[in-house]
Amino acid sequence: MAFVIGVECIDVLDRSCMDVCPVDCIYTGLRKNYINPDECIDCSACLSVCPVDAVYPESKADTEERRVFVSDSADFFREPLPGRDRPLGNPGGSMGIGDIGVDTAVVAQFPASGAPGPEAARDRDPA
Amino acid sequence: MTATATGKGVNSVQREPRIRTDVVIVGAGPVGLYGAYCAGFRGLRTVVVDALAEPGGQISALYPEKEVRDVAGIPRERGRGLVSALLEQASTYGPELLLGCRVLRLDRAADGTPVVGLCDGTEIEAGAVVLTAGIGTFTPRPLPGGQEWEGRGLRYFVPDPAGHRGERIVIAGGGDSAVDWAHALAPVAHSVVLVHRRDRFRAHAANVTALAGTGVEVLTGTEIVALEGDDRLRTVTLRTRGEPDRVTEVDTVIAALGFVSDLGPLAEWGLELRGRAVLVDQRMRTTVPRVYAAGDLADHEGKVRLMSVGFGEVATAVGNAAVELDPARTLFPGHSTDEQA
Repeated sequence: MAFVIGVECIDVLDRSCMDVCPVDCIYTGLRKNYINPDECIDCSACLSVCPVDAVYPESKADTEERRVFVSDSADFFREPLPGRDRPLGNPGGSMGIGDIGVDTAVVAQFPASGAPGPEAARDRDPA
Repeated sequence: MTATATGKGVNSVQREPRIRTDVVIVGAGPVGLYGAYCAGFRGLRTVVVDALAEPGGQISALYPEKEVRDVAGIPRERGRGLVSALLEQASTYGPELLLGCRVLRLDRAADGTPVVGLCDGTEIEAGAVVLTAGIGTFTPRPLPGGQEWEGRGLRYFVPDPAGHRGERIVIAGGGDSAVDWAHALAPVAHSVVLVHRRDRFRAHAANVTALAGTGVEVLTGTEIVALEGDDRLRTVTLRTRGEPDRVTEVDTVIAALGFVSDLGPLAEWGLELRGRAVLVDQRMRTTVPRVYAAGDLADHEGKVRLMSVGFGEVATAVGNAAVELDPARTLFPGHSTDEQA
């Protein structure tokens, strides 16, 4: 099992989850964060700090949309991201590698929601 | 426990302390504590080591106040209550608990007996080693670019706020530790700047609000982007989004950026690893002789990573270790009810 970041994170990208993850398994795409299901240890530290309640355990993926993000989170690491030849895999921590700078096709096609767009999200925290 | 020279001449050098025991358990989380009970029940002398200063491992570090509901026979219990019950149970046979001690090395005595070396120089010669180290050792998350200043102006803990009297201090972090240290240092320091790279603090809201009037300068959306100095740290460069960089003179930078864990030295012991976990067989033996593993750290086919599974695994590990230490022993330990008959 693992924890999953859902649609609420898109264009918010608060990143508090990254500050508390004891195994550093949360990675930043462009508009959204992704939890690596192979590196997650199910500690739930990220769940309570998310300001938009975007985090849920895989076992609580009880809507179609939530199920989409369960597989999408895995795809972020297991499938080559747009414009890349190889999958990201399990880097063993996001600290050293910085923002990945690209989202899965599923996330990329989400229309920009409300306030901060992808540009603002990118400017928010220069890697 | 480091050796100190007390006499005169070359003969005064003391040997580092060496503890001899039957079983050394590495990790004082729930599984390690229960392992200490199991080992004690079998009459094995037991030492439990943990890098953290308090027992309970992940429960104490991550969710002491949450209710645990998946331990057999205990419908619900707060994390810290469970740890205290486990500690009571573990203490039945008087194991030696060495807390705040990181395990560094695994060596061998001349006859092949494992010798575990701790960071303070202590060596533990044990018939068997049982690794219940969970997800590894918790260490402070490093401040990017800070490594060369550790101990020369950069620190990760504030054991004694009074030691920072009159200093110019920058604290980085957004959790309760960062805010608590700002409160503690404000009355003694010359100045305290609290910087957090996010817009919002994770710390308890009332704790943050109470900083008003303490003189602590709070900067959100701000990162430390450079640390400079000579023999010690002198200045930091703070970058707040949308503003020009600001270079601030400092005496001390405190990085309270939370904790990360990794296998640390265990990864170098020649154990067969699967990701963060250590491969074990049905007896909970690792691929290294006389070294067992149980709980979250141990991996085998069909593994279910739950505390309750870890309890069973460590009972298995200790039982098999007991037989390995003395083949005349039976694998089955007997029932805890037997002696009350």
